[in-house]
This record gives sequence, structure tokens and C-alpha cells, in this order.
Amino acid sequence: MSAADNIATILSSGARLTVPLAFAACGEYVAQRAGTLNISVEAMMLGAAFGSIAVASATGSATIGLAAGALVGVAVAFVHGNLSHRVQINTFVVGLVLNALVLGLTSYLITVSTFTGHQVWQVSVPVLRDIPIVGPMLFVQRWPVYLLLAVIPLTWWLVQRSRWGLELRAVGENPQAADVSGIHVNRRRRQALLWCGLLAGLGGAYLAVGEVGSFNQNMTAGRGYLVIAAVIFGAWRLGRTLVGCVVFGLADAMRLALPALGVTMNSQLLIAAPYLLALLAMLVFATAHREPRALAQPFQRGTT
Amino acid sequence: MNVDDQLTPALTLRGVSKRYGPVVACDAVDLAVRPGEIHGLLGENGAGKSTLMKILLGLVHRDTGTILRGTEPIEIDSPQVAADLGLGMVHQHFSLIEPLTVWENVILGDTGRVDRAAACAQVEQVAQRYGLPIDPLARVDRLSAGERQRVELIKCLRRDPSVLILDEPTSVLTQAESAELFTVLRRVVQAENRAVILISHKLAEIMAATDRVTVLRRGAVAFHGTTADTTAQELARQMVGRDVSLRAEGAALGLLPVEPQSPAGAPPSTDPAGAAPAADPTTPAALRLRGVTLRVGGLPVLDDLHLDVAPGEIVGLYGVEGNGQATLGELLSGLLVPDEGAVEVGGRPVELTRPGTLHEAGLGIVPEDRHHSGVVLDMSVAENLVMKSLAGVCTRGVLSRRRMHRIARRQMAEFNIVAPSPDTPLRSLSGGNQQRVVLARELSAGPKALVAAQPTHGLDVGAIEDMYVRLRQAAAEGVAVLLISTELEEVMALADRIAVISSGRIVGVLPTAEATAERLGMLVGGVAH
Repeated sequence: MSAADNIATILSSGARLTVPLAFAACGEYVAQRAGTLNISVEAMMLGAAFGSIAVASATGSATIGLAAGALVGVAVAFVHGNLSHRVQINTFVVGLVLNALVLGLTSYLITVSTFTGHQVWQVSVPVLRDIPIVGPMLFVQRWPVYLLLAVIPLTWWLVQRSRWGLELRAVGENPQAADVSGIHVNRRRRQALLWCGLLAGLGGAYLAVGEVGSFNQNMTAGRGYLVIAAVIFGAWRLGRTLVGCVVFGLADAMRLALPALGVTMNSQLLIAAPYLLALLAMLVFATAHREPRALAQPFQRGTT
Repeated sequence: MNVDDQLTPALTLRGVSKRYGPVVACDAVDLAVRPGEIHGLLGENGAGKSTLMKILLGLVHRDTGTILRGTEPIEIDSPQVAADLGLGMVHQHFSLIEPLTVWENVILGDTGRVDRAAACAQVEQVAQRYGLPIDPLARVDRLSAGERQRVELIKCLRRDPSVLILDEPTSVLTQAESAELFTVLRRVVQAENRAVILISHKLAEIMAATDRVTVLRRGAVAFHGTTADTTAQELARQMVGRDVSLRAEGAALGLLPVEPQSPAGAPPSTDPAGAAPAADPTTPAALRLRGVTLRVGGLPVLDDLHLDVAPGEIVGLYGVEGNGQATLGELLSGLLVPDEGAVEVGGRPVELTRPGTLHEAGLGIVPEDRHHSGVVLDMSVAENLVMKSLAGVCTRGVLSRRRMHRIARRQMAEFNIVAPSPDTPLRSLSGGNQQRVVLARELSAGPKALVAAQPTHGLDVGAIEDMYVRLRQAAAEGVAVLLISTELEEVMALADRIAVISSGRIVGVLPTAEATAERLGMLVGGVAH
């Protein structure tokens, strides 16, 4: 293979590996702007990955599977939102429990079920796909990738331009002030989590019915945590968050490509590479930036 | 005062009560506010003003009583309902979202589509009508306190409230900004027949700006009447009860409980011989600030601050709130590190970048906000008392409860801390007793110097007297006391010398004997230097 081919392969695979992260990051960005440091994004993605394959296998349609995966994400978000922003259980405890629960549950269920593989169809744009290096990356992808291209501006518009987004940002910055202005703080936070669940679900489902075509145990392998890191790395701005996702996606692609390129490295060490990168990125970029002031602070009326 | 019935009040409260456990915050409060008047609500900290306000705003639910708007009874369940009923509140501290722009803040809580152009136009229109110039596109965190208040007012007035409630509106404003605010309020009541409730603990402001006044004392209405028919002295008496206010009049009337000790005959510092060799015999200061400078966002909050406090001396640091006192208090608590300058305790510079060094060097601190950095509310009295000197109650890392209790009992007796047992959680003690715990801990460590920042804020009269006695006693025993206070009378009553702080600088130091309210007022206002 030529060097250009190698680069094209890595870019293309990096783009594919970025997609699940970017979906989930759009969701996590919204949740964090509303003040929820949502760590159950891992559970949302993993549950969605399993759910999408299960439903795809049952219905024979990968697209229905993808939708089902998104719903699983919403279900996890519903549980999380009500436990931490209605019953007021510590959001980290809820997130940790959900992550462990979904990991255990899917690991068990996959051993007792047999699923047939399904994958959503691929879109391949003639002519444009033949552009050297970036052609395959941009124009030969499965269709949810193009959905992602719509989700990103929609997320930005919702947060920055809609009233819902304005109230969301207010809630994440100063819930007491939002409350006296007549905004239902915990309801907004639950809604933000549901949006997060929907998108993290799409991301997780894409991993299964988009990328791989099947489900295996702990398939997300901590990608949810990378998404959290990307939002922090991105200083709670959508554009920079997505840049973070691309960096992590490319790191993942390098990991997969290096053996093929003849570089031998300990494979466990390679698996750790994106996380090491996340840690370094946060060290460099995150300290200088201001997080939403009420991030991870619960709200109850009457306490000021 | 039978003038209440001439007009249907805009808002009437009848027998409104609210209890928090055993504490009665509001006790059968009656209040009638008429359209076209500014109604003053006066009371000390903890008199029930803020609870009453929260009830009107739907943040707290009353236990008993009725609230009428006009003649119709209303239930205020949430802030949204309060706004819909035409009750608008100008909050001083917590209703603007700093990273948002002015127009975004103003439309927060509305419904419907966000229309930036329309919102900006509305902001400008309201701004123009009331003479409150503001840039709708400015981010709130870039605005001054006075400008933020304009935004609050615009946000509130845009919703066309029939009753406008202002909570301590001038606490962070300059004199000019306060005057501007009252001009706007006058226009709001006279031209538009709205009712205004002005909550304040400042007598002068109530006298100058209100038409009628209601005084709250311990949750109950102590007085109400027409402002023009009463005097500041009368209101002060009603505000604090039968006791004459220490803060307002005590010093002037010579009613202080203990004669001030002369610092001249005070014994020298009590630190063990040899522990603190005097670095320089000409500088006997136990606490010395040398060129302390601290900048926040490039602006100096403390600006080349120099101050000496000698053993046995009480120096009062007096100034209007927000001139760097809070920052200095945090710095002397070890919570902030100055950009430049040094703090010396007992003649030795203290390394400020490590925690606990100020305490080790012999500096005690009674912080301004004891809940923030003075005590741990959910730990016991005993634990709070030994917290800074655990070496005395530990053997190889194991706590001795017996020794802890013995120390706690002794300090509780010595400092009159009223608590059922040393194991009582500090949270259940009164503010005065919590403050005694802080003072007991700091003084029991045998400090060379003690910093007392707003030590009597929110305390009742008895606890204030006790605090004064203790501070004088500490000075008499040779401790250098730095009293940071915004209460002129407190500084005049306690201090030997008064240093005036303005914009983070010491602008003058006077012996208390030479300090008159007028001279200090001129220094505070930056007139004389």
C-alpha cells in the first residue's frame, strides 16, 4: 500500500470511530451545560448497542435496531434523570450504578442469546468518493453519519438560539437565579438528560449496527468516559468538543492501523492510548477554562 | 396611625406566620402596601425580612395567614405564580446569570420564541423610560454592581409589576448610584402608581426614601406608621427593642458594658521567650502587612496595603463594604495568596503558599462568614473546638475522645458556650454560640494576633456585648487585634487606632480619640487623604 492509501485508510477509519463519540458528545455537551455531569453516558451507549442488535436481529432491520438503541439510551436517561433530579440522589452514584448495571446486564444477556448480524446501509457518493485521501472518509459512510451532520448544527442551535437552550444554560450556571426567574430547574435538567440519552443511544447503536454489525461484551469499552473527557477538553463549547472527539477517534484508528503498518507494540498498551491522550489533553486544555458554575451541583428550592 | 384604610392596598398580609422547627421566623405579620407609595420594611439581620420576602416570592410557603392582592386572596406557590400575580422582586445577589448577556437575562422566564432584536429593543425602551442606561448586548459579568442593578430593575419593570420589592438594594451601590435608584423608584410610584416595598436595615435610607415604614423585630411587627411622623431614633429603638443599640448609639451614650482597657499598660506578647526573636527592635508589631497586593482579573482588590498592629492594641479597619475587606479576611485566613507583599506575624514573614502556616505562626482568625470558613456545621462542638490543634488530642494519629471532651468542656465554660453537650452538632447552636466556638478555639491557641472580621454580623445584642468584652480582654492580655468592620460605631467603641480602607488601600490611620465620624466619612469617601 502507498503512503497515501495508508493515510486514507486511517482517516476513514478514524472518521468511523469518531461518529459514536460525536453523537454522544452532542448529548453530553447539552447535559453538562444544564449542570449535570452525566457519567451514565457509558451505560446509555452500551445499553443502546445491545438493544440495537437485539431489535435488529428480531426485526431484520438495522434501521429499526438503530432507533431502538436510541430509545434504550432515552430509557437510561429517564431513570438517571428521575433519580438524580427528582429524588435527588447524588448524580455520580446514580451514574456509577447505572454503568455497572448495564455492563453486567448486557454481558449476561449476550451469553444467553444469539443474534444475527445486521448493519445499516452504506452511502457511497459516486465521483466524490474518488477524491484522494479525504474522499473515502467523507463520501463512503453508513447513513447515520449523515444524520450526525444534521444533529451537530441542531444541537448548537438548540443550546445557543432556542429559549429552551437559554434556560438550560441559565440552569447550569445559576439554578437559584433561574428558579426565581420562573424556570423549572430540575425539569430542564431532566430534559437535557433525555436529549443526552437520545444522542448517546444513537452513538452506541451506531457502534453496533453501524460499525461492527454485532454486539460483544463491553463493546463501548469506556467510550462514554472519553465523551465526558471530550466535553471538558472542549471547554464546554460544541466545536471544540467535536475536535476532541476527532482526536480520540483518530487515536483509536491509529491503534487499529499500526499492526497492519508493521509496527509492533503491546496491544494492551495500545488500547490504553486514547485514554492516556484524554488525560494529557485535559491537563493541557481544561485548566484554563470555566465550567458551568453549577456543574454537578444538585438543586432544591429554598436552599440558596 | 389610622391611615391604612383610605385606599385599597395593592398587597395585604394578615397574620402571616412561618416557623422553621422551633424558630419563629415570621410571627403573625400584618402588612398593607398601597399603590403609589414606597413602603419601608426595616429590621435587623434575622428579624424575618428575608423570610417574608421569600413567602411573597413563592420560595417559601407560609404556615398560617392570608395574603390579598387588592381584595382577592392569593396563593403564591412558585416564583412563576408570583410574577404572574404582578409581584416583582429586585434581588441583590442571585438573580442574574453572569455569563449571559443583558437581554438574555431580561427575557429569562418568558415563554415563546427567542427574538433577540425585539428583546434588545424592549430593554432599550424600558431603559429609556426609567432613565436606566444599559447596553443590552453586554455580558453581565462585565458590568459593575450599579449596572447589574439596572438590569435587575429593567428585568422586573418590563413585566409591569403592580408591587415592586427591593431587597437591600443599596448594599453594594455607591452613594451616587443609590441616589439614582431612589429617583427611579420615585418615578415608578408617582407616575405609574405602583407599590414599592423597600427592605433595608439602613435607617438613613428608610427615612429619606420611604412614605411609610413597618419595623420587624424577631419576626413580629414592632411598629408601623408614616415615615414623616417618626424619627430615626424612634425607628432604631423599635428595631432593636428596649435595649439601646450598641451599634447605633451605645458608644455615643457611653453605655458600653466594659470600660476600654488602656493599651499603654498592656503586658507584652505572651509568646514563650525565645520562640519569636524580635527581628527588629523598632518594629514591635505582632501583625504586620507589608505592601500586600492581590489582583483579580488584572484589577487590584488589595493595593499595596501596609498596616501594623502592636501587641495589646486593637486596630479597627473601617470602610464601606466591598473595598477589599473580604479579600483581606480570606487572605489572613490563608485562603488566598497575595501577588505581592508579605504578612509578618511576631516579626517573622509567614510562608503563605502552604495551608496552616498562619495558624502555626500565631495568627487567630474569626472569619467574616463563619459557615464558609470558620466552622463545620455538621460536626460537634468539641470537634470544632479542637479542629486546629489536633496534636493536643491525638496519640500517634488516634483521637482521644476523653481529652477532646475535657478541652471542650473547659472552653465551653470559659467562653459561655451554651450547648447541651460537647457532642451537640454545631448546626443546632445559635449564631452567637457558634461565634463563641470560633472565638474560643482561636483564643485558646494562644495567638500573637487575632483578626476579627465582622465579628458581630447577625448576632443579637447579648452576643455582641460578649464579643466586645472578649476582644478587649484579648487585647489586654497582649494579643494584637485587627478588627475588620463596616460598622463605624463598633470600630469607634473598640479600636485604639482606626485605619480606613478604600479601594483596597489604607487611605489613613487615626487614633480613635482624634477620629470623628466626619473625618472618617471623608476618608472613606476618598475626600481627604
